[in-house]
Amino acid sequence: MATGRTGRIAAAGVAVAGLVGLGLLAAPAGAGAAPELPPVSPEDLVSSVLTADPGAFGGTVELDNALGLPALPGMPQASDGTSTARVWTDGDRRGRVQLPTSNGERTLVSDGQTFWAWDSESRTVTRVPEGEHPQGGPGGPDAANADPAAAATQLLAALRPTSEISVDGTAEVAGRPAYELVLAPAASERTLLREVRVAVDAEHRMPLQLTVLATGSSDPALQLGFTDISFGAQDESLFSFTPPPGATVEDGQAPEGRPGGAPFQGTEPTVVGDGWDTVVVATAPADAAAPGTGELDGDEPSLAQLGTPVSGPWGSGRMISTAVATAIVTDDGRIAAGACRSRS
Amino acid sequence: MTAVALTGTAAPARSAPVLRLLGAELRWVLRRPRTLVMLGVFALVPVLISIGVATAGDGPGDGPGLIGAIAGNGLVLPVAAITVSLALLLPLAVAMAAADAIAGEAAHGTLRGLLIAPVGRLRLVGMKAFGVLVVAVLATLAIAVVGVVAGLVVVGGAEGQLVTLSGTVVGLGDALGRVGLVVLWTVGQLAAVGAIALAVSSLTEHPLVVLASVLGGLIVFGVLSAIPTLDWLQPYLLTTGWTAGADVLRDPMPLSGIAESTLRALCYVAVGGGLTIFRMLRRDA
Repeated sequence: MATGRTGRIAAAGVAVAGLVGLGLLAAPAGAGAAPELPPVSPEDLVSSVLTADPGAFGGTVELDNALGLPALPGMPQASDGTSTARVWTDGDRRGRVQLPTSNGERTLVSDGQTFWAWDSESRTVTRVPEGEHPQGGPGGPDAANADPAAAATQLLAALRPTSEISVDGTAEVAGRPAYELVLAPAASERTLLREVRVAVDAEHRMPLQLTVLATGSSDPALQLGFTDISFGAQDESLFSFTPPPGATVEDGQAPEGRPGGAPFQGTEPTVVGDGWDTVVVATAPADAAAPGTGELDGDEPSLAQLGTPVSGPWGSGRMISTAVATAIVTDDGRIAAGACRSRS
Repeated sequence: MTAVALTGTAAPARSAPVLRLLGAELRWVLRRPRTLVMLGVFALVPVLISIGVATAGDGPGDGPGLIGAIAGNGLVLPVAAITVSLALLLPLAVAMAAADAIAGEAAHGTLRGLLIAPVGRLRLVGMKAFGVLVVAVLATLAIAVVGVVAGLVVVGGAEGQLVTLSGTVVGLGDALGRVGLVVLWTVGQLAAVGAIALAVSSLTEHPLVVLASVLGGLIVFGVLSAIPTLDWLQPYLLTTGWTAGADVLRDPMPLSGIAESTLRALCYVAVGGGLTIFRMLRRDA
């Protein structure tokens, strides 16, 4: 009977070990101790980021979106949730971005001369000669969204004048030691944002993670960062693309009028205020703002259907609130948007 | 004198050859008509999908999940058929085998004979787990093998190659390796289902309870993972990683999802196996 008892204890131990293992798997990764790094001043860190050239790298980027934006057709990344992208770049003009979904994948490849876009669900390949492509860089606008390096660098340049910038310790991001650069709004700024944290790789001085925290919430409103990254030369075959058999190849056109002309047929937007409480005021194309008039394509979101109705001395319209920004669209087509709180 | 006689009879009986035990269990499992019918049904799954895709015409079809990706790209078929079956059909087969293994024997009154037989309890559990695992392997292999053949013959491959979801082309050998990987991965997930099913099976004498609790549990897991406020629960749910099977169709193949779901399945195996042994060491009939 003694062996029976020890056997039962051992069996129970195995079962408990399984439960503990499940708990360990569920625990958030990277909860290790903060790495020790030589201290650096914020100015040095920011300028080293602005001048850094990380060279070739490949990795996985995860976007954790809790902005509370309304769902936009054709852009699953914009609505709340988690999405991932796999990115590779040779540090120069060539690059590859793969956006997996549960049943398919979109692949964007820039091989230096041609930009290829593959959509597995429609099995089409769109080919755009690189010279005509507006952004030129790896993957164009989609890559700029998915690449935390570009996103964080732009943000740093814009926020430097009105922000308190500090280096708040270190962290481990994607298995690499990183400095935590914190940008907080100056006390005079009235904004929905609490702080923006950028984790900067200690060695390559490349932003690895961008976290946007809003007031009144401990969870990030937006987190975009690498979950896995490797620096150094990448597999050459990643930077070329051959349309697979059975695919439809279309010659894409560079989007007309986008690079030079106005982004939409409204007046040029005016910027009111500066720093964190900047408000952008613009006039929307009349058919998009006025409810019931104009014919909208099915896949174009109508601004008139979003948000809650508001009115005031300025007229009436609809207010769209998200975790980090508020926008008001008036019935006569004016738009005001900024990272400010609504007064009501 | 008595001591000698006792050791003399007990020693050879304790060490009944493992291979003979496993062989007996294998015959016992494979002789059941329902096991054979079930394997036939699994072989039919890819055939039916391939006929459906082939009659739908050329070009990328639209269908749920990976089905739309099969048209003109036959080597996707085994992976898609396994992914589709993993949702309920394969767990059903495994739960059925586990239900028969212990609860079914108890219901027929044959478990008592096994328990008093000169076979250690640990070995008995190992034998029963082996039987369940064999069913899982055979069912998955049936889908995979028939899927590859039907994919190449009925649907037709993209020049005998596999077009990955990422838009790259992979040769036949590499594609078969990927199908093999998804088979291994699926058997791992089914082992987790089977271990939990065996644990339930060791607690009851009614095979239907096992079927109901395993399938009910899977449905509850599905409901839980659909509730946004419970998303912290997702890393604990076995079904969370079940979309990782489609990762073998991406290029370069991301292994993190497959590795993580396999580790999670191993944890479930430990829990289910531990509970089964814990219960069977003391079970009377």
